[in-house]
Amino acid sequence: MSEIRLTVNDKKRVVDVDEDTPLVWILRDTLALTGTKFGCGVGVCGSCTILENGKAVRSCQIPASEAKERAFVTIEGLSPDASHPCQRAWLEEDVAQCGFCQPGMILTACGLLHDQPDPSDEAIDAAMSDSVCRCGTYPRMRKAIRRAAALMREKKA
Amino acid sequence: MITSRRAFLKTAALGGASLVIAFDDKRLFGADKNDTAQFKPNGWIRIGADGTVTLTIGKSEMGQGVRTSLAMILADELEADWSRIKLVQASPGPDFKRLGTGGSFSLGGSWKILRQSGAAAREMLIAAAAARWKVDRATCSAANGSIVHTPSARQLAYADLLSDAAKLPVPTDPPLKKPGDFRLIGKPTKRIDGRDIVTGAARYGIDTKIPGMLYASIERPPWAGAKVKSTQEEKAKKVRGVRQIVPCTNGIAIVAESTWAALKGRATLAVEWEDPPKEAFDSEAHSKRLEAASREKGFITRKDEAPAVTSAVARTIEATYHYPFYAHAPVETMSCVADVRGDRCTIWVPTQAPNSLQEAVAHSLGTTPEKVEVFVTLIGGGFGRRLAVDYALEAAELSRAIKAPVQVLWSRGDDMKHGHFQAASAHRLSAGFDSAGALVAWQHTKAGSLHNLEKLPRPEAVRDAGYYQDLSWGVYDVPYAIPAIETRYVTVDLPVRHGPWRAVFAPSSVFAREAFLDEVAHECAADPLAFRLELLKGADQVKAGSLTIDRRRLRRVLEVVREKSSWGAAVAARHGRGVACNVYDGDTHIAYVVDVAVNNVGNVRVERVIAAVDCGLVVNPIGVEQQIEGGIIWGISSALLGEITFRGGTAQQSTYADYGVARMRDTPSIEVHIIPSAATSPFGMGEPPVPPIVPAIANAIFAATGKRIRRLPIRPEDLKANG
Repeated sequence: MSEIRLTVNDKKRVVDVDEDTPLVWILRDTLALTGTKFGCGVGVCGSCTILENGKAVRSCQIPASEAKERAFVTIEGLSPDASHPCQRAWLEEDVAQCGFCQPGMILTACGLLHDQPDPSDEAIDAAMSDSVCRCGTYPRMRKAIRRAAALMREKKA
Repeated sequence: MITSRRAFLKTAALGGASLVIAFDDKRLFGADKNDTAQFKPNGWIRIGADGTVTLTIGKSEMGQGVRTSLAMILADELEADWSRIKLVQASPGPDFKRLGTGGSFSLGGSWKILRQSGAAAREMLIAAAAARWKVDRATCSAANGSIVHTPSARQLAYADLLSDAAKLPVPTDPPLKKPGDFRLIGKPTKRIDGRDIVTGAARYGIDTKIPGMLYASIERPPWAGAKVKSTQEEKAKKVRGVRQIVPCTNGIAIVAESTWAALKGRATLAVEWEDPPKEAFDSEAHSKRLEAASREKGFITRKDEAPAVTSAVARTIEATYHYPFYAHAPVETMSCVADVRGDRCTIWVPTQAPNSLQEAVAHSLGTTPEKVEVFVTLIGGGFGRRLAVDYALEAAELSRAIKAPVQVLWSRGDDMKHGHFQAASAHRLSAGFDSAGALVAWQHTKAGSLHNLEKLPRPEAVRDAGYYQDLSWGVYDVPYAIPAIETRYVTVDLPVRHGPWRAVFAPSSVFAREAFLDEVAHECAADPLAFRLELLKGADQVKAGSLTIDRRRLRRVLEVVREKSSWGAAVAARHGRGVACNVYDGDTHIAYVVDVAVNNVGNVRVERVIAAVDCGLVVNPIGVEQQIEGGIIWGISSALLGEITFRGGTAQQSTYADYGVARMRDTPSIEVHIIPSAATSPFGMGEPPVPPIVPAIANAIFAATGKRIRRLPIRPEDLKANG
């Protein structure tokens, strides 16, 4: 066990875990931030996606030893009131069905829009296709991402 | 012995999991008169002193939108203020004795009782206000959480009428609103849990945390009956955070202080299992058995003799269709939290079968159901997998053994390898033509396996046609007018776990039927869509088992997709357009036209799907569209991507990497047309969109390449250009 210092949703946290503990379990079991989901543990479903410096990263692929001194944002930290453009767009397009994969999907979309504020349809498909939604919410997700991009541009203008 | 199909399905076909809200009329319709701080006219509705309306949802939410649609039905009749609705999830108990969700029965099965419940409460509130004002109740009406006295424009909020209303008798046959007066039903309504979902506040089974809870991961035998050869138990015990290693019914449990410690402990335990015997289950060998069985007689599920005037069969064509094993693969793996204390147990579980689960857990603990309290969480994907209660039994067994609350969490590999798979099947079809070339005879034999969620509901000796019909939706309920129809079911034993999937057991059957019909149309040199419409002439309604097929509704959805898809227009080389349709369980009518492109190396891209649906009265149009979109994408997964194969008794797939499921890049453009229906009640939508999509894709591939798809999933190597 070792003390790992990291920042989650702007709060400094010190956790006492094994160095090989994947960040997804630190978030879920140690910090009780269960909005970050476990789906596969091997980086192929995207459910555990969180943000670091605006970019989407998979928390199941980051061991505690590598999470040290880094700062992450989980779905709970995206906005306190569902006001982030991605959350708003998700609600306006009524994307979710069971909803389980959606935190990861929303944060994956945030990562895409951080890099490409006005992504092409191809770029959207490419960025989102490493993630799994078994309910099949992809058509609405596509629309929501375009809407979120427009909302973000509006905000800047 | 002919069993009512619905009654049968409710109680038996899905492993004893009952599918419709069953209720104790006396309790549910009995107002709670002891509590004047709130108004609780029945088991579904409670209005608090602050005016908040709390509705109880008796169906499990797994993405199909029941928490929204059932609340809409209750709130509409109640004339509640939609912005002040709160939901609670029903638990098994005196009010709810047969909770269960499946078969797309939630809307149809709940429609009447929920409307009556809402209307009864509304009538009591109107009566209370009229008495308060001393006016004729006919001059009062309810709207948006208040009663209004129209002549004087006086208004009273529900919150101000609670104690008066609670004293009134509950009307047993309250007047229901006219459809024209619906305020919520039929209006596009966003998911009621949407905000919780996008903020991460929504709690699924896996998110359950209770004080003192430990975490367990179970190493399961790779094939049924496998014995342990060796373990590294001493090493595993030394993994930090591992508390105990507990042999249990389903394997060896590693109990730890965190999920990661349990997973690490399990890896360190490094269980070696015996090698499987030569005769261990193998899906390739099973496929051959199924094919042979499809030539057997089996049980006749329908036999329409040709009228004497029909000329004899002069020529037949036949084909065998093969359907593989599939996993449900919901993104939330199986999990359950159990806290056993003495002879009592509390369970938090994402389940489709709360009452079956309660009974099964009670039985396993040697206690009674009322001592097992079950809290149903949100479900991160069900698709029929969570009608099985295996993961709850594991948690209860472990909690009792370690004397602490425990969460059993399945890894993705556990979930993929130890599911209750959709069973493989083989379908033998033949079509007979008379000397003039007209289709006069149809035969379809399904060789498949029932389910083993629990012991089979009925011994073979007393199974009847109704029993097999329930298990062969899509086979016996052929909607087409063909003079002679004979359908059969052959049961093939299957030693691995299997059960219903999204659309229960229908997808394989509808795939075979609709793809073979395309072969028949081709044989007749007919346009496959026009051919279907031609076969749907004749009697408007036709009986098949206990179902009534309404051919007018099916014709209508076909006509709509024909028009909206520009059916018949020319397409580019290696592009094709295919059609398929189905009536799901005699209720929901769907037709698809699918456009595909097949590249030179045989990769199929579904480019566009035009859908038309008649699902009866529409409660939430957004919900209908979402389920069609989701059903299409589910079908794309099964047509083009993953299958489960078994070698040595073990499922060979373990993640989404080797069991492919559709991603955004696989998603076509989808256009949904909801047909105004003559029906006055709603039909389910969670499952009906699934069965006809796969044959529509297969038929489009034939149009694009001239190659017939008779085996799933579709393999690019079979579709190479010039191949």
